[in-house]
Amino acid sequence: MIEFKHANKYFGDFQVLKDINLTINKGEVVVIIGPSGSGKSTLLRCINRLETISEGSLTVNGIEVNNKNTDVNKLRREIGMVFQHFYLYPHKTVLDNITLAPIKALGKSKEEAQKIAHAYLKKVGIPDKANSFPSQISGGQQQRVAIARGLAMHPEVMLFDEPTSALDPEMIGEVLDVMKSLAKEGMTMVVVTHEMGFAREVADRIIFIDKGQILEDADPAEFYKAPKEERAKLFLSRILNH
Amino acid sequence: MLDFTILTNNWDMYVEGFKNTLLTSLLALIGSFLFGTLLAVFRIAPIKSLNWIGTIYVEFFRNIPLLIIAFTLYAGFPTLGIELDGFQAGTIALIIYTSAFISEAVRAGILSVHKGQTEAARSSGLTYIETMRYVVLPQAIKIVIPPLGNQFINLVKNSSILSVIAAGELMYQADLISARTYVVFDVYIIVALFYLVITLPLSYGVNYLEKRLAKSN
Repeated sequence: MIEFKHANKYFGDFQVLKDINLTINKGEVVVIIGPSGSGKSTLLRCINRLETISEGSLTVNGIEVNNKNTDVNKLRREIGMVFQHFYLYPHKTVLDNITLAPIKALGKSKEEAQKIAHAYLKKVGIPDKANSFPSQISGGQQQRVAIARGLAMHPEVMLFDEPTSALDPEMIGEVLDVMKSLAKEGMTMVVVTHEMGFAREVADRIIFIDKGQILEDADPAEFYKAPKEERAKLFLSRILNH
Repeated sequence: MLDFTILTNNWDMYVEGFKNTLLTSLLALIGSFLFGTLLAVFRIAPIKSLNWIGTIYVEFFRNIPLLIIAFTLYAGFPTLGIELDGFQAGTIALIIYTSAFISEAVRAGILSVHKGQTEAARSSGLTYIETMRYVVLPQAIKIVIPPLGNQFINLVKNSSILSVIAAGELMYQADLISARTYVVFDVYIIVALFYLVITLPLSYGVNYLEKRLAKSN
């Protein structure tokens, strides 16, 4: 359902993505790993056009993401996104954070949107925080609200951009648990993360990317046992042995 | 000692002027806030032509005297067949002039809202305008209140310039009273007090809001 074909991206003279060929199927959980600055977040952000590819093609559900005739707002309704720093709206309650897009972008009634929001808050384990403001809840709770906010649009795919990197170690587990249960329900997920345990347990595929290139696209078990590329070996040894 | 018979003898004129100053300020405040915010959005919208319109407007009207705008509207427009009385021309001039300053303050406020807020809203499928309206502007407004308050105080004081186009506001009335009574000091000191009746509460209101917002952050 997501397909990159010979995609390149430049920031000025600097090439961030080099000849990306990647197909992600419906229901797959794909984890993207790689050193910082390798282009993994950029790759993810291209999928919902927060960044645009410079060359090549990228389709989501058969729709050309960068085509001028593509209604980007419509496309984005199908793609949920969770950010490293949550980006909840600080002036709105948890409930209003979740209902804003369903009401404005999907045209749902307030009652219906709130019903959905409550259901997802329950799902992410914080049904009692509906009327809190983001500043009143913990980082882990904020990130779970952000996930509920994405899910409330009933997207086809969820993108996660280092969802646990800004969290206290104690709170990482609660966020990963929510993501695991999502994966088990068959949600298509693309996850940029350094959480190797999560990758090993949940991912259908691991994509290793370095200097803008996909170096490995492998089954997690194989990847961890014996990465083919030297760079991937080095990366793994550094993050697994610290 | 101030001669308060000036005040009591000319009470009706002072009150008339006070009402007009208050009304023109209030109208210009609302008008310039709405128009200035629109201009601010123009200046940062992802559309080049709108950026240009916003920039040209702000740089032009911010850098010419208010008096010229007022005169042009009051004396120039009738030659085009558009008749405006002093009050109307003055209020519109104030809106045109103050909007340029408001726009800059609001723009700074919008730019200070984290980019991630826009990204989160846009990636959930909201349009640019919905993102501005429901996510960015409500956050920007908090940051913008102190500089806006200062602009509104300036606006009230600037309205005195409208006396030269017979807008009927405080300064105009004071000029009339002075011309009629040959008294200068007392007339203008009293009129200054009337201005303070409007600007001091504004000033304290802004300080209060500023403190409250600082706490809520």
